[in-house]
Amino acid sequence: MLTIYKISFILIIGLTLLYVFQGYYPEFMSFFSNAFSSVIAGAAVISSGFSLDKYWHKAKERFSMAWLCFTCGLFLWFVGEALWTGYTLVLGIEIPYPSLADVFLLSGYVPFFVALYLYVEIFGSVLSQRILTISLAMSVILAIFVSGVLIAPVMGTEADLTTMVVDFAYPILGLVLLSVAVLGLLIFLKGNLGKSWALINAAILLNTWGHALFSYTTSQGTYYGGHPINLLYAVAYVFFLLAFYVHIKEL
Amino acid sequence: MLVETKSPFKDVLFEAVDEGLLTLGESGKEAVYFHLQNLCSLRRVDVSDRPEIFVEGIRKIFGVGAEVIERSIVMSLYRKLGLKYKEKEGYGFLAYLNDAKEMKVRRLK
Repeated sequence: MLTIYKISFILIIGLTLLYVFQGYYPEFMSFFSNAFSSVIAGAAVISSGFSLDKYWHKAKERFSMAWLCFTCGLFLWFVGEALWTGYTLVLGIEIPYPSLADVFLLSGYVPFFVALYLYVEIFGSVLSQRILTISLAMSVILAIFVSGVLIAPVMGTEADLTTMVVDFAYPILGLVLLSVAVLGLLIFLKGNLGKSWALINAAILLNTWGHALFSYTTSQGTYYGGHPINLLYAVAYVFFLLAFYVHIKEL
Repeated sequence: MLVETKSPFKDVLFEAVDEGLLTLGESGKEAVYFHLQNLCSLRRVDVSDRPEIFVEGIRKIFGVGAEVIERSIVMSLYRKLGLKYKEKEGYGFLAYLNDAKEMKVRRLK
């Protein structure tokens, strides 16, 4: 178990260094960043697939369905990332946004939300009304804060309505996921499964943060292939991969 | 070959644990048994003999979430024994088990 943590740690440090010193190799970084997102998203799908293989029994069981939905969600994200890679590296479109890739990336949030909901609902009765209210209030406050931060830069651009909707959709949907994932973390925090849920939360947080920054930088015209915010996405996928691996090991 | 004999209560508890763990579905149940053996050297057949180790084990895995499984097992146990389950403040899994055992003994008398 320690080995996988070590490998992930080394991978994250390596990726961070790669992005920190990108000024020395901008062209390579643009290529690497666009290609690596598909690779790591694919690896996360495989990790989730192993979990599905272990926990799947039949569609009527909530636990089985939760794992099917996790895998479907990650698979849709992988397709989205692969399309992004195709657009940038094969078709030569520098920033394919919004595009068909976003259709898959945004669709992935639906099964992922269902997965989190199904899993948490099994154990939800241990959460008090107070905790549920606090969690919901925090999510609403965060959503208002993120929207508030993005509203001026996004609305101030001449972007079309679709771009604006997509700009807001990513961080808001991310926060919706986070609001459920936090409940999972609270339930399992003191158990071995807490590690897996902490990683899921960290992954969603990084992903949401990355998308909020992406919306901001694209609206300001400062985003470029290999931008450091891609590090957030990459680490988020590493965390997803690790979360599912840890889950298999702990249950 | 050694033949283990169990009291009727333990038999019912064994079934109740099996049923209660189905909260996680069949595969989840098997996973829990597998990890209980690894974490606390608790075999599936020994769960009803060592319920305190079982509780410790599932709390180690699920944290507070274990309460859901414990409640499901207790409800299943009470139903199987024909007892009325009533939630009591500050009562844990083992306390419910002891109550059920005592109530069953009292009924038999």
